[in-house]
Amino acid sequence: MARRPVQTALNSRLSSFQKIYLLLVVGFILGPFIPLIIQSFAFRWAWPDLLPGTWWLEQREKSLLPLAWDYVISPYSRVWEATLNTVFIGTVVTAICLAICLPAARVLAREDFRGKPAFEFFLSMPLIVPEAAIGIALLMIFIKAGLAGTYTGIIIVHLIPTIPYMIRMLTAVYQGLGRDFEEQAMILGASRWQVMRLVTLPMLLPGVVAGALFTFLVSTNIFLLTFFLGQGKIVTLPTLLFSKISGGTLDASAAGITLIVTVPGIILLLITERFIKEEAFGKGFGN
Amino acid sequence: MPPHNTKELDRHRRERLWMWVQLLPVMVVLVVLFGGALVLAVMQSLGYAPWFGVNTFPDLSYFRALWGEWSFWQSLGLTLYYAIVSTLLSLVFGIILALAMVRIFPGKTLYKYLYKLPLMIPYTVGIALAVIMLGNGGMLSRLAEFFGFIDDPSEFPQILKTHYGWGIIAVYVWKQTPFVTLTIYAVLLGVGRETEEAAAILGANKWQIFFQVTLPQILPGIISSTLIIFAFNIGAFEAPFILGGGYPDTLPVIAWRYFNDADYSLQLQGMATVVSIALIAGFILYGYLAFYRRYERRIGRS
Amino acid sequence: MNRILMGLSTVGMLMAGTAYALDTEATDFRDSFLAGKASWDDVKTRAAEEGTVNLYYWGGSDPLNIWMDQVVAADLAKLGVELNPVRITGTKDAIDLVLAEKGSGKGLGEGSIDAIWLNGENFATLKRQDALFGAFADKMPNSKFIEWNAEDPRSLLNFRDFGVETGGAEVPWSGEQYVCAVNTDRVEKADTPATFAELRDYLEENPGKFTYVKPPHYLGNTFVQATVYAHNPDGTGGEPFQNSIDDLGAEELARLITPGMEYLKDLEAFLPGGKSGNARYPEDNKALEGMFLNGEVDFACKFGLYAVATGLRDGTYPEGAEAFVFPEGAMIKNKNYLAIPSNAPNPAAALVMANYMTSVEAQVSKLKFTGMPPGVDPWMLDEAQATALAEASPGLVGITQAELDENTAPDTNATLVDVIEATWLEYIERDSDDDIETIVARAVENLK
Repeated sequence: MARRPVQTALNSRLSSFQKIYLLLVVGFILGPFIPLIIQSFAFRWAWPDLLPGTWWLEQREKSLLPLAWDYVISPYSRVWEATLNTVFIGTVVTAICLAICLPAARVLAREDFRGKPAFEFFLSMPLIVPEAAIGIALLMIFIKAGLAGTYTGIIIVHLIPTIPYMIRMLTAVYQGLGRDFEEQAMILGASRWQVMRLVTLPMLLPGVVAGALFTFLVSTNIFLLTFFLGQGKIVTLPTLLFSKISGGTLDASAAGITLIVTVPGIILLLITERFIKEEAFGKGFGN
Repeated sequence: MPPHNTKELDRHRRERLWMWVQLLPVMVVLVVLFGGALVLAVMQSLGYAPWFGVNTFPDLSYFRALWGEWSFWQSLGLTLYYAIVSTLLSLVFGIILALAMVRIFPGKTLYKYLYKLPLMIPYTVGIALAVIMLGNGGMLSRLAEFFGFIDDPSEFPQILKTHYGWGIIAVYVWKQTPFVTLTIYAVLLGVGRETEEAAAILGANKWQIFFQVTLPQILPGIISSTLIIFAFNIGAFEAPFILGGGYPDTLPVIAWRYFNDADYSLQLQGMATVVSIALIAGFILYGYLAFYRRYERRIGRS
Repeated sequence: MNRILMGLSTVGMLMAGTAYALDTEATDFRDSFLAGKASWDDVKTRAAEEGTVNLYYWGGSDPLNIWMDQVVAADLAKLGVELNPVRITGTKDAIDLVLAEKGSGKGLGEGSIDAIWLNGENFATLKRQDALFGAFADKMPNSKFIEWNAEDPRSLLNFRDFGVETGGAEVPWSGEQYVCAVNTDRVEKADTPATFAELRDYLEENPGKFTYVKPPHYLGNTFVQATVYAHNPDGTGGEPFQNSIDDLGAEELARLITPGMEYLKDLEAFLPGGKSGNARYPEDNKALEGMFLNGEVDFACKFGLYAVATGLRDGTYPEGAEAFVFPEGAMIKNKNYLAIPSNAPNPAAALVMANYMTSVEAQVSKLKFTGMPPGVDPWMLDEAQATALAEASPGLVGITQAELDENTAPDTNATLVDVIEATWLEYIERDSDDDIETIVARAVENLK
């Protein structure tokens, strides 16, 4: 008697276990944001209230100082400054990282040279050695170089954790590219520049965009290195948020700042999901 | 065939030179800055710090003082424990999620946005969420009071700030499960379903399919993603600092405390700590990778 | 080509010369100001030339940050100086920076920090390393609001900071006292403990309802000091702790602090988490206040005469919060100051800012915004100013000024603070088996 074939993965429905699991996961990921949002609108929200005892809007008039969202939006909270700094640093780091990793990735994908395995190993070391290990030493080097507390210093330092990711993704892209397309184009009479413009670049683009987005992501999330190198002078969203919640407690303005810190991430998520397919990320990590 | 006339030699040399020039900027950042910082940290940990007035190089006393204390090994144990447990949990949750993601269901497009959210936001946000949910004065505790389980916040089981580290592990799992899912999902899409279908036709049940077909296929994805998150967890600072159980802390927090102490000589002790972290992390990860490479060679995949 | 080179080198020399001139100008300016030869108008003109003042201060208080950005920046701009408020997470970071810059040869006019908000060991470190601008505190126009008569016993805190002579190198900015708050919604005022023994009794019946900020945070150190004063075996309170470690000696110090330390060790069992052997100490006052708000603990202590009033106003304290007398006879009182380091890049602007901070308007608005009590001495003010100050005060809740005055205690000598902190960390946090004498001796050795 023939057995009914087991449903195979790609074109089958979810089992009930999976349905529940998916709901639980989304609850775990998004659920905690609800009390966070409520807290940002509260004046006093003490245990055991499920909703704030006194709301922010009630107390607004009576208070001398800006409260909750008023404070977060005000210049005193440094939120706008931190956002600008984070985005600026992230953009510059991504641009520089792209510029220096692109040629290097091409070499790594195509050429061979003495010491290549050692070089590749060294490239991955920043992924293994934690920021805490090199943070203070870097600070000392940069103080000597006069770069501590400057944008330049922070940008240079952000390159260290981002280069390994960018190079991996670009190398994978170049490997996928293969010389053949370029060679064929040249046989058909295209100049070097035309090859670059019309063949190489369009084929590279998805991987480059994925790498750039990932690098931007990593840079905007870096805390420890920015904290050490910024010396309190340059504040980014991660360092601002950390100083607010480092005691392990969350008041209304801290909740508001947390939500603001989430916004660039949400924007990044929307961009990534629209334009990058899952495979592009997988390529860099599948090996 | 090696080039044997001068024009070709020149061109070859120029091409080689150009190759090194292309590699140069990356090498400068990594070797000079990253390597330099490592070297500096190692030198200081061995007693070379003339700007502090200390020059007892080579001096193993800082390492001896550090490794001789039982608290160092406790901290190391805690660090590894948090790292291993959260990596394993993220792996399991991530694989289950990835297997669900390859199927078709309504709302899948929206779901693909939602599950990636933790990837995009800093750890500190995750820590804030843990504080607001899991603290003794947090939402779970208030819900427990609402349903009559407890009367006082101190009756709520202590989740945060204990050495069991559930708060820390929760934050890591929250942030890293999407990462594992993304990697495994991408690999699953790339590998295709034919082998699975073939196995199914041949009569395998779903557990056999998973362990003998799917798992080997996604193994490279598993290894690379767990490598990255395990390495991160060992060196992570923010979560154990805010949510940890106090002394003995994880190694990165201990290093931070040394660096911030009023006693300036503890700076070098801090350096010894961070060098130890780097060595341990490197050792474990290298071992992990080497073990995997041997396995790969054994099963015939190079 | 040669002419260009000559031109460039001339310009170069002129620039170097100017830079050199400005620096010698800076030290000249300092010398003439400290000798009393510069008029305040000279200072103001130079300050306007310098244009900026970099004030490094602990940025953990939102009301203070708002006051700085809103009020101080605007008022200083009217004086021609732009305020650059740098919020730091730990005052020690600023000290480290000053010393690092001094170590790399940066002198007056060349550093990054113009003024630091500090007291205690941080000031003592700067003084020990000779990293201070000089005795400016009594030479400003608004210095008249501070008691500089050494004969008057009330002037003690203007001359000594944690027992270390200020030498006028820092000017008082705020005064404070260590006050505890109780949540009267959860605890009857009559049941609130007034002594350490009563606290222990209370905790035996209500375990886990009290904790204190952990050393090395300054609030933690202060609580430990208060405990040590109250458990002084000779009964002399904080008196012997005014001496420096060299005068006191490790042995004597160990003998004096042993009863207090043992009390704290015993107390651990009654702190949150103490039952399972892992007592929880919050890392800073924000965390402790969070626990206080949620009812996890019934008491919260910190430096804050007006803490309850401002806490109620800002929503950080529970509605039933009130101050109370604890610990009896050991409510430490001190001042905190603004100091100018020796390598301040804008010394005149720093002086103008310090003068502004000592003015009655600044003290009044600071009191109103942040609840930080004035650092100027009220008896040096005229009637109108004193009334303005009194009216700006957020008010005392649950305690009277008389009670506060009866229970004051002096702060500990700066050289002892680190030793006591190290002893707590070793004896209580790391649970060392060594006896306190050994621990103290070791700490004194390490901190030399």
